[in-house]
Amino acid sequence: MPEPILEVKNLTIEYTSGKSIVQAVNNLSFTLEKGEALGLVGETGAGKTTTALSIMQLITSPPGRIKSGEIIFEGRDLTKLPQSELRKLRGEKISMIFQDPMTALNPVITVGDQISEVIRLHEKTTKLEAAAKAKEMLEMVGIPGERYSEYPHQFSGGMKQRVIIAIALARSPSLLIADEPTTALDVTIQAQVLEMIDRIIRELKTTLILITHDLGVVADICDKAAIMYAGEIVEYGTLDHIYNHTLHPYSIGLFNSIPNFDEDVHRLKPIKGLMPDPTNLPKGCSFSLRCPDCCETCRQRKFELTEAAPGHFVRCIKYAQV
Amino acid sequence: MANQSDTKIFEQEEQVVLKKQSQFREIMGRFAKNKLAIASLVIIFILIIMAVFAEQIAPYGPDDQDLSRRFTYPCAEFLLGTDDYGRDILSRLIYGARYSLSVGLISVSFSCLIGVILGCIAGFYGQVADNIIMRLVDIVLAIPNILLALSIASALGPGLGNLIVAVGIGAVPGYARIVRASILSVKQMEYIEAARSIGASDVRIITRHILPNCLAPIIVQATMSIAVAILSAASLSFLGLGITPPTPEWGSMLSAGRAYIRDFWPVVTFPGMMIMITVFAFNILGDGLRDALDPKLKV
Repeated sequence: MPEPILEVKNLTIEYTSGKSIVQAVNNLSFTLEKGEALGLVGETGAGKTTTALSIMQLITSPPGRIKSGEIIFEGRDLTKLPQSELRKLRGEKISMIFQDPMTALNPVITVGDQISEVIRLHEKTTKLEAAAKAKEMLEMVGIPGERYSEYPHQFSGGMKQRVIIAIALARSPSLLIADEPTTALDVTIQAQVLEMIDRIIRELKTTLILITHDLGVVADICDKAAIMYAGEIVEYGTLDHIYNHTLHPYSIGLFNSIPNFDEDVHRLKPIKGLMPDPTNLPKGCSFSLRCPDCCETCRQRKFELTEAAPGHFVRCIKYAQV
Repeated sequence: MANQSDTKIFEQEEQVVLKKQSQFREIMGRFAKNKLAIASLVIIFILIIMAVFAEQIAPYGPDDQDLSRRFTYPCAEFLLGTDDYGRDILSRLIYGARYSLSVGLISVSFSCLIGVILGCIAGFYGQVADNIIMRLVDIVLAIPNILLALSIASALGPGLGNLIVAVGIGAVPGYARIVRASILSVKQMEYIEAARSIGASDVRIITRHILPNCLAPIIVQATMSIAVAILSAASLSFLGLGITPPTPEWGSMLSAGRAYIRDFWPVVTFPGMMIMITVFAFNILGDGLRDALDPKLKV
């Protein structure tokens, strides 16, 4: 039985803006085992990034606040750790890759120094040793070590993202959170970067949480997938469960909206409607407003995640045990 | 084997130095294109040489009196004439550069240091700290600068050290505001969040990640305020609250000479011109640095 490395239990996060309260993440739970790769999929505003930041404990407060829940990483509840302990974890045990490589590197520090900084923060080494290690990391992500002392503006977007990956992996963390690592890159570079992430996490046996809205990317490198909607996980399971035995109407809608190349399609099939206003979520199932199979009960009450098949969880009335 | 990797690291280190220089050189290259700025740099350089080697350069001592030669107009013997005690004005101006420059530089470093620290705390931590610091800054800003310096100087009494404090305190709010504003914009950048995500502490984030990004406005403000500091030091001395005669500070020379302003022009004209040239040079230098450091002007 593999041990869980990360357990998120009943996590609820809210943002206060003025008088209204935004429920960014509602009662979210999931478990990750060592070496697994989980894809967190959902549209903009579904709470994916907030979830990621909460694992790093980097939610800016105010306005953000972890209202309830536990995040247990290697046996310790991150929500209760003091800042000094968290600093030791960040970069060493848990790392994050940010969405936009253009802004995630400090423009006035050379890329090499930015990599060696994370090494020197967590390990007592001399400047030269850290620089040598940083150079190795650069070469691992496919950038010649001679470019150690160049500044971020001398790099292309894809190379910057590689540098960010090198920073995130410099201390071989046990958990890597990649927040839409390829969104800001063009398609060919996307493929290269993904292939590289995939190769490195397998080499270093890193657990991965990949946040994306691209189902294809998840299919490429993840073992499990969780579909998020309005701050909740609506469907969770292995790739086979999600892709071949899709159950939740929202997930089905997502797959339907991908154009099929085999048929002659004139119009895409989007999910009708918009995400509900997060300050004013519906009383019942949060997807009820857009759901094609919605019934009266759906509008009235919420449903728990139910195990429809072993390891395959769905939050829907159709599979709820009444 | 170990030796080999050592040389590898060494080469790399050498390269780091080279690249960093080239960044610096790029800024200097832009600065060098500005002829006026270079001229101002030369003037400031001459002033510094004057101040450091006053004993060697000045033809006479600052207090050497020759009462038989009072009020001599500029001639070969006294290049800028003599004052009411028969002291050589040129020599006194050369010695005076020491006071003016040290007041300018020390008071600016003093106010810069305090202002940057206050601005960092206010900008980075926000909320209560920000409110307290910025309201205090507003109070200081509400008092006219010269009036503030005047009251501090009169409370502390005359003297070089007190003059520096009096001039410096008035400049603190300027730095605090500039630093706070730049920190507010820089701290929202994703790379600051990224720095947090690798486990950097607050102090490290401020000093290593935020401040280097705000350096340009601080440098410009500092050079500009050297000019202001020299000017207010001279004004205070002129009013008798800074450095008092017989010390050859330019402002106090002006003050001592003002009784003879109608009958003997050199005694006030030359110190006045020195103040003007120095202030002008520092202002132009500040302008030039701003243009060189501003990345938006980068072609």
